[in-house]
Amino acid sequence: MTPEQLSKLESSIENLKSKKSRLYFLVQDTKGNAKASVSFIYNMALTLKKAGYNSIILHEKPDYVGVSGWMGEEYMKELPHKSIEGQNLEVSPEDFLVIPELYGFVMSQVSKLPCGKIVLCQAYDHILETLQPGQTWSQHGFLKCITTSEMQKQYLENVMRNTSFDILKPFISDNFTKQTLPPKPIVAIHTREQRDTANIIKTFYIKFPQYRWVTFRDMRNMDEKQFANVLKECFVSVWIDETSSYGTFPLESMKTNVPVIGLVPNLLPEWMTENNGVWVNNKTHVVDFVADFLQNWLEDNVKPELYDEMLKTVENTSSKKEFEKVTIDLFQKYINTRLDSFEEQLNKFQTVE
Amino acid sequence: MEKLDVSIILPIKSSAAIDFNDYFTKCIESIKNQKLKVNELVIVHGNDTNLLEFLDSFDFGDLTVNRHVWTQESNFAKQVNYGVASAKSKWVSLFEFDDEYANIWFKNVDIYIKSFPNVDVFLPIVIDTDDKGIFAGFTNEATFAMNISAEMGVLTNDTLQNYQNFQISGMVIKKQTYLDWGGLKSSFKLTFGYEFFLRLTHNSVRIMTIPKIGYKHLNLRTGSIFWNYKNGENVLTSDEVKFWIESAKKEYFFINDRAIKYETQND
Repeated sequence: MTPEQLSKLESSIENLKSKKSRLYFLVQDTKGNAKASVSFIYNMALTLKKAGYNSIILHEKPDYVGVSGWMGEEYMKELPHKSIEGQNLEVSPEDFLVIPELYGFVMSQVSKLPCGKIVLCQAYDHILETLQPGQTWSQHGFLKCITTSEMQKQYLENVMRNTSFDILKPFISDNFTKQTLPPKPIVAIHTREQRDTANIIKTFYIKFPQYRWVTFRDMRNMDEKQFANVLKECFVSVWIDETSSYGTFPLESMKTNVPVIGLVPNLLPEWMTENNGVWVNNKTHVVDFVADFLQNWLEDNVKPELYDEMLKTVENTSSKKEFEKVTIDLFQKYINTRLDSFEEQLNKFQTVE
Repeated sequence: MEKLDVSIILPIKSSAAIDFNDYFTKCIESIKNQKLKVNELVIVHGNDTNLLEFLDSFDFGDLTVNRHVWTQESNFAKQVNYGVASAKSKWVSLFEFDDEYANIWFKNVDIYIKSFPNVDVFLPIVIDTDDKGIFAGFTNEATFAMNISAEMGVLTNDTLQNYQNFQISGMVIKKQTYLDWGGLKSSFKLTFGYEFFLRLTHNSVRIMTIPKIGYKHLNLRTGSIFWNYKNGENVLTSDEVKFWIESAKKEYFFINDRAIKYETQND
């Protein structure tokens, strides 16, 4: 090892110890639209920033819209932002890159960088989308993955065998609070595929013309506060997301005291029980369940136990405090592992000398 | 026992209607079965012997019933106005003997009174049925429909200008509001309820539909007021129907009943 390399190693160790190493978080540009997966990343980054770490948001292009419109100014002001395109990205061995599962092509581009590399996997069905056939994360140097649920972790472990997994569960924002006024005959609808929303609404009005006065609210394109306020007015939520790995929307609904009619996702969420929602196995039956629930709601026949179970479910999910603690613990663990490795290298060198 | 401070106003012309006893029994049962009990039932009824005997022997259970014999010519609006004036509660609800309240109605009214203190009138979603009890449609639900009302659930004057299908039966209104704005106009045929809603909304009274099925209304019972307008001795012509709708739109500016009369057009 040359004196220059030695000095770099010592400097890296110092940066890791003093939390100066850079933690880059790559995010998707949602063009100002709210997206739970992006909000999750920003919350991780801001938690670490507030704890004294050097988190930086990384976006693909310089014309990044940002999240101040739907998450608040704080996230844009507190967190430094850098564009991959058009800016010289400084990456040192003590730095970390956190890349969402969707960006397989970025993983291959950064595979030679000497930094720590972590996959953030919130949607298991996206993991292979931009990877070449046969490629795995570990082949690009991504040996660690943060995911959001035990079920998803189990699934991923069977596909990405050489990667180790940690779980960080999302939390439901404080913007979601229990309804204080009686709800209106509005159905909040949130589907992964927009055509499902249109199909459900149109089918419902054709099959049940007597309920044409009931409104459906497509919960897309709203900032979080607006989203929470609209949800508060609804008497039921409809959730269709077969490839959901966690289920933020149903939990937000439950926290708001809005029962959920949902299609059971391929990976059963840990919080889902027989009694905390109306869980349907066939998408084509959803409208019938909506009409049935509506009839019961109009007649005050919805069992109070449903609302009790919803409350219990939400109480058992991760709080913001827990999320922050787990985030800090996780990254400190990654830093410590890297630090141990660097110190081991330094010790070896000093022993040889 | 907790009660809602409401008087139910029940006008009865006579007991001559077909199946009167059955209808009346069901309507009283629907009051008795309320999840939240009511203060008082005010019956303003005609004085035919059969009716008097029937009411004398009827078992009202633990309902507080105040009966008033109506000796003048039968008139729905006048009888209701009299009943409201004599009511002992802060709120009144208009009822008909061939209708039924849903047992959740007054419990929900209580919730909404507490949640929306600036609202003076609450309307139920009404299930209209035919005389066989078959569902015919909803009434009062339109306040929730897209582009009908500026504020979802609230009945406005603008809405009423274009859409008349709202119903006074089952509604719960502050007694003082009812009296302050003149009550139902007895000279009106057909559109007395519509004119009343126009008058209330014109005077900034807030009317809200509670999105719960609160009332079952029998449509066009043989011998009922509206049946008579359509099928009885004094059938309303299409001209007269139009006249009463137009009159409602003109007269709501006036609190007092100006004794409107329809005169046949002789062209």
